[in-house]
Amino acid sequence: MSELKRTVLYQAHVDAGADMVDFGGWDMPVQYPSGIIAEHLFTRSECSLFDVSHMGRLIVGGPDRLKFLQKVLTNDASALEIGRAQYTIIPAEDGSAVDDAYLYRFTDDRCLLVINAANIEKDKDWLLPIAEGFDCFVSDISGETGSIAVQGPRSRDMLSSLKGGEAIASMKRNDILSLTLEGRSMMISRTGYTGEPLGYEVFASNEDTVWLWGKLLEMGAKPAGLGARDTLRMEASMPLYGHEMGLDADGKPMPIYAVFLAKFAVSFAEGKEDMIGYEALAKQHEAFLKILEGDHSLTADLPRRIQPITLLDRGVIRAGMPVFKDGEQVGWVTSGTMIPYHVIEGEGKDAVFTGSTGKRAIGAAYMDSTIAEGDKVEVEVRGRRLSAVVSKTHLKNSKIPYAIPVING
Amino acid sequence: MNFPAELKYSKDHEWVIMDGGVAVIGITDFAQDALGDVVFVNLPQEGDEVGMGEAFGDVESVKAVSDLNSPVSGTVCAVNEAALDSPESLNSDPYGTWLIKVQDLGDTEELMDAEAYKAFCDTVA
Repeated sequence: MSELKRTVLYQAHVDAGADMVDFGGWDMPVQYPSGIIAEHLFTRSECSLFDVSHMGRLIVGGPDRLKFLQKVLTNDASALEIGRAQYTIIPAEDGSAVDDAYLYRFTDDRCLLVINAANIEKDKDWLLPIAEGFDCFVSDISGETGSIAVQGPRSRDMLSSLKGGEAIASMKRNDILSLTLEGRSMMISRTGYTGEPLGYEVFASNEDTVWLWGKLLEMGAKPAGLGARDTLRMEASMPLYGHEMGLDADGKPMPIYAVFLAKFAVSFAEGKEDMIGYEALAKQHEAFLKILEGDHSLTADLPRRIQPITLLDRGVIRAGMPVFKDGEQVGWVTSGTMIPYHVIEGEGKDAVFTGSTGKRAIGAAYMDSTIAEGDKVEVEVRGRRLSAVVSKTHLKNSKIPYAIPVING
Repeated sequence: MNFPAELKYSKDHEWVIMDGGVAVIGITDFAQDALGDVVFVNLPQEGDEVGMGEAFGDVESVKAVSDLNSPVSGTVCAVNEAALDSPESLNSDPYGTWLIKVQDLGDTEELMDAEAYKAFCDTVA
């Protein structure tokens, strides 16, 4: 049995009493003694730190880098300005996803592509051979760098109060900056995987990553593990590869446009003609646009879609549970669990935390595209069919600084 | 970790106390600690039969579902609604939050006293 890989923050997690688990070959914290629920709630009300050093960090550069990126990613890399980042997907020829990813353009001549930890080898096996056909390079810098996600209402104040961090205060979503925090070079993006309106991801040397983790904890941030990372992104309806992307419960590849975020991640602009999967994606795109208007003439090209669902009966929905409508199976739950929330009145800066919290059984399901928001479905939870409703969203996060839960049903 | 002396304990980390001919059953401090935050509890109904060593319900944490196995066979005569309504009390007060009461007891597992259970927990931790 080979040993699990460790990030530079491994010892910090162990010292903090974290429950460690094997996550795609990495020895990672699933929760700290506070527990997943407390970590989730603290992120939404204060500021949590997530060790994301296990994720893959690839540098793409060279004269043909743009042509290469236009081929292997779904976003329009030519439209990505210096100082900006974008959610993107690595497509396969059939219009399904090899992985989802984030592309960061820190400088003119190179980009950083961040990929899922569980897919690092698969993605490199996919990308490197293609890169050989271009005058460009793909370098894996994962080992020499660390990464921390800093997420929650207090994240901006905390980071911008560090010496050299003043410019962080005026970053817009998806902005990225290279700067020096307390004399240490870092790259920071206003991005994240929690659905928090304020949240950042920092990329630094291994040593500086350890320093920043300790510094932010001193300032009142708390560590959160993979358990809370999952409940937060689930509440924000953000896809997780292997659940909302990849293979469905029958082992069939899921179309990229089954995920609503494809709307922002996929481009067919001039320059994208050589994109892998262009034709399949274009068909899915047409069907997607029509489905959003209730027109199902092209639904054969996108027969099933992911939508948020809320359990109405007592219970907990979980990935893999079948979903039924009018007695027929129409799909499966792709992600689900019991997720806590703060009871908040109002929104934006005037939001008031009442001090009480709740829990709700919510998630997402991959279901026939003819099913619409507001429809009632049934989820089979260990032999019993429980009532659920298809929801528009579980979280509202357009106003700084708080994400507001949307309680459906 | 808490091991009240007046209770008996099963290998599945349940505590049992006999109240007349009725077995009162809950989960131990060791169990709640291992589960993490309990977010949901499934329990049988009054009148249901339970079998020794068989699942009578389950507890759900954020990440997993764990069966609750009955250390006795008999008929459920009471179910703790408070546990259903506030599953988190299994974490905050495991010995104060009984789950089911069982009467007409048939088979009973060999139960451990507090000291033996503590030693048992040391072997599985």
